[in-house]
Amino acid sequence: MARMQIEGLCKGWDFPVIDRLDLTVEEGEFFVIVGPSGIGKTTLLRLIAGLETANAGRIAIGDQDITALPPYKRPVAMTFESYALYPHLSVFENIASPLRARRMDTAAIRAAVNEVAELLRIEALLDSRPGEISGGQKQRTALGRTLVAKPRVFLLDEPISHLDAKIRHELRQQFHSLEELRRVATLYVTHDYSEALSLGDRIGVMGRGGLVQVGSAREVFMRPRTLFVAEHLGQPAINAVAAHIGGEGADLHVRAGNSGFGFPIGGTRAAALSGARHARVTVGIRPQHIKVLRNGEDAPGHHVIEGHVEIYEALGANGVLVADAGGISLTALTSPEHAFAHGQPVRLALRTDAVFYFDSETGDNLLL
Amino acid sequence: MSEQGARLVRILLLMFLGLWLILTLFPLYWQFITAFKSAAETNRTIPTFWPEVWHFENLASVFAEKSNFNALVDSFIIATGNTLASLVLGTLAGYAFARFPRQAGGENLAFWILSNRMFPPVAVLVPMFFLFDAMPWGTDSHLSLIILYLVFNMPLATWLMMVFFRDAPRELEEAAYLDGYTPLRAFVKVTLPLVLPGMISVAMLCWIFAWNEYLFANLFVGTQVRTFTIVIPTFTHGSQTLWNLQMAFSMIAMLPPVALFILLRRYMVRGLSLGVVKG
Repeated sequence: MARMQIEGLCKGWDFPVIDRLDLTVEEGEFFVIVGPSGIGKTTLLRLIAGLETANAGRIAIGDQDITALPPYKRPVAMTFESYALYPHLSVFENIASPLRARRMDTAAIRAAVNEVAELLRIEALLDSRPGEISGGQKQRTALGRTLVAKPRVFLLDEPISHLDAKIRHELRQQFHSLEELRRVATLYVTHDYSEALSLGDRIGVMGRGGLVQVGSAREVFMRPRTLFVAEHLGQPAINAVAAHIGGEGADLHVRAGNSGFGFPIGGTRAAALSGARHARVTVGIRPQHIKVLRNGEDAPGHHVIEGHVEIYEALGANGVLVADAGGISLTALTSPEHAFAHGQPVRLALRTDAVFYFDSETGDNLLL
Repeated sequence: MSEQGARLVRILLLMFLGLWLILTLFPLYWQFITAFKSAAETNRTIPTFWPEVWHFENLASVFAEKSNFNALVDSFIIATGNTLASLVLGTLAGYAFARFPRQAGGENLAFWILSNRMFPPVAVLVPMFFLFDAMPWGTDSHLSLIILYLVFNMPLATWLMMVFFRDAPRELEEAAYLDGYTPLRAFVKVTLPLVLPGMISVAMLCWIFAWNEYLFANLFVGTQVRTFTIVIPTFTHGSQTLWNLQMAFSMIAMLPPVALFILLRRYMVRGLSLGVVKG
């Protein structure tokens, strides 16, 4: 009934920002768009909201084509990155605003606003002005203003990006538990991959011009279609090493230039990559797939390489180690029990079966 | 800076402030004491700095003539009418320049409008007289001065309102559109309240200009309509200038703008310090 369909959407100024974008968000689906800053995520939301006019393409909600409708006639609610709360109105009036626009009667407005405020746990703030409340409370107020409108599509623009980590986590859980958001089509935009992986029923990774890959969080994370997708999801970012594939028959291996870094490609992957023999590739190794071995420790099924520590950061729950392995810098995720000193020799065990191979020109994943 | 240097700066600053105070307050003091002197005392070769006898009846004698009171009413009608017109036109034009600069004619047109304010008024005095004389309402009417003062006040109002509107985040208007408000309703609900302090300070500037204007009023009106600014110089007795009555009347005429400023100074400060309206 209220799925949102976007077909062939184009928008650009001096250069194209969104180029023939297609996207369908089902009713009840929570779709997260993740991508670097300035790539056009907000522009996409503004196009759907009607704050920008598309150069081409079509946007429909349910059976209704809304492409040509002005924003105030679209069944869409949006939160802004800056919250855009009306500074001269109380929190109550801010939330009541969409209902006042419809000239609902006062008693009904009071009931609806109170209900939303209770849901978001901001009842105590209803008489405050936006200038008097904290960032997290502002975010809740902005969310309340969209919830009370009961739109058919929710657009959420970086709703929690500017809050401290603690509140961010709390509000992320709130997005999980809000039934209202799970009943209609929701489009949530963020630059933070963990928000995307945590919240999205499906996620779309946005690159130059449009969506590079769309799929479930797990699928996009485990099977990135391009190097761009792989680089954008995960913290610390994936190790990307320029290399080439060499070897004969079933005996393929990877070597990075003239450095000492390389490893054999085993089993089924060798068969899949046989067409790419001698090709220049970018090898992607996630930091969690590099294990730092302790003295005498063994790692069966891993390829072990020697290196020495360049940087070690202890981050509490885990550690991030940057090691030099034969002239290549590799980032590894370690357990926090062991500290490492600069220059200390380490042995790194690669899970070669979890390595990605990307075409060095196009960035396409060669294993898909 | 050394401690001695800092002290020197403080002393110089205090001296400057003291001088500034004398320069601004002396005319007011002189106006005040003159208003209560007798005509004879005002004409002494050696002036007195305090009235020998306080002639409080000077104030009453100003209003003994009803036409003097009517002059204040005429000034009030003109200043208020002009302020309202300047505000309406300036707000609409300022909004257009702030939000749709290209469609509204761009920075050049906005600056041309402002440049009208910088024109030396004397240069257009006579042409303006003939222009207004040809109008159905003539020169000697409230409407003529209300319209004429727009030449000075509308550019000011347009330019200042443009700055205020630029400062009011566009996103708030967009949020109102998404709440379901049409552009006009969004303007009234969100944008106008944000620029209200600015509007009040613009209104005050316009009102005070129109209230105080002498040059054009002196040439344009005088029979049907008389503003207080052209009435004050008529307080003479033969060849003698009645300084005491002139000062008494000008003191009374000063009260409305001063009262206005005191009442609205909160908005004036907020309006002129711009960024404060941001959320």
